[in-house]
Amino acid sequence: MENKHITVFHGPQHPGITGNMSVELDLIGETIQKATTHVGYLHRGFEKLIERRTVIQAFTIVCRICVPEPDPNEANFAMAVEELAGIEVSKRAQYIRVMVLELSRLTAQFLWMAGQSGSIGLYAVGQWAIADRDLILDLFEELTGARVYHMYIYPGGVRRDLPEGFLEKVEKFLIYMQKRLEDYDNAFIYNASFKNRAIGVGVILKEDALQNGYVGQALRGCGIKADVRKDAPYLIYNELDFEVPTQEAGDVYARALVRRAEMDQSLHILRQVIAKMPEGTVMTKLPAHRKFKLKKDDTWVKVESARGEFAYYMAGDGSEYIRRMQVRGPSLVHAFTLLEELLVGAELSDVALIMNSLGICPPEIER
Amino acid sequence: MKWSIDFKGVLSPFGILGAMFQKPNTIAYPSVKKELVTGYRGFHTNLLATCIGCANCQDVCMNEAIDMIKIDEVYNEKNASQCIPRIDYGRCCWCSLCTDVCPPHSLKLEEECIGISKYASDFLYLPKNK
Repeated sequence: MENKHITVFHGPQHPGITGNMSVELDLIGETIQKATTHVGYLHRGFEKLIERRTVIQAFTIVCRICVPEPDPNEANFAMAVEELAGIEVSKRAQYIRVMVLELSRLTAQFLWMAGQSGSIGLYAVGQWAIADRDLILDLFEELTGARVYHMYIYPGGVRRDLPEGFLEKVEKFLIYMQKRLEDYDNAFIYNASFKNRAIGVGVILKEDALQNGYVGQALRGCGIKADVRKDAPYLIYNELDFEVPTQEAGDVYARALVRRAEMDQSLHILRQVIAKMPEGTVMTKLPAHRKFKLKKDDTWVKVESARGEFAYYMAGDGSEYIRRMQVRGPSLVHAFTLLEELLVGAELSDVALIMNSLGICPPEIER
Repeated sequence: MKWSIDFKGVLSPFGILGAMFQKPNTIAYPSVKKELVTGYRGFHTNLLATCIGCANCQDVCMNEAIDMIKIDEVYNEKNASQCIPRIDYGRCCWCSLCTDVCPPHSLKLEEECIGISKYASDFLYLPKNK
């Protein structure tokens, strides 16, 4: 029997990624001939909304740009505003910010692990990952007063000081997690069924990665040591000792190994932050709501999110409003340039696997 | 074709069977209540004895979730406008900016965060006086 061309819409609701985005697949049999990404299901117009709000009001919107990890957005926004308004941040606030960013990185990695294992049918690992992510959300709840959208990293510092006994709780969590990650290795990373599905699938070539502006695990998975925390250190990352894990193969499995190694590095960073946490204030005195003005200038700030380089462009015009803000996350280039290319020649059953390994977050594309 | 068996890869996943003997992570809500965390951003409270009706909270609210409504009773003589904030929980995002800008710190968020009603009008919430 002759195989015919069929067109399948994968999404907008599917196991591949967090959020709504669809990929139109042209198939012959089970093999993909052409993939076209369609977005537009989740457009909320963050950039435009921010232009119509004062600096302080805009702060509450940015965390919604990426649901799995809102904190890099908050950190970027705060750093850009601080640069344009000439605000100094205390050392303690910077350490707390790094702690929040690393905990946030872990939550995003757990969410990735849940999605990645779920995409090949290993649901037990997915449930573990969500349960362990909840432990971090419990810590966030105590520190910030909210579980997912923390609205905690504020221009000028952080909104609250650490609650009593919080560092001990984080320490206890780190001890638990160090041991717990071995279970994930056995159940997921070393699992033959994951290896067989992931090795040799979704291969990114080193040359393409450099030419097309890929970031995060897409780069590090094919042997390029790129990490904003090392290349252009922000906050107090230059005072901390950590490594940038890389792999050479460039496939889904290589990216999974990189992410797994990054979880270890996050735990390592958190231990150092706890040991070095200085005393002092956490918040600089800020002008009142309507008097909080940015100078007429622009800036480009970036942080390393769990999915790669995450940058903000911000321009002020001397008023209390932000003239323009642009978000440059990893998702746009990964969802179009990279995903459309990687899916050609892949099997239909591998679509969710490949999508999940790239760290695509649709609300960030349609900001 | 060369065949090989990844023994570690085949056997190691069986380690997850040990999880059957661990304590479950889930709790049976509502028979087991989750403990409220100190500092959780839940419902608003407003101490009327100190509220001065300045409407700073209304001004800073980016969701336009706060209305200042007139009250007849005098709780605080400094409250010249005789207005107090009312929150629309259909619009509120619990960012807590309103409590940050409150000059007498009368508006606060308490840990209590569960409210159920069959009437949509109950989304318009007058903070408890405490």
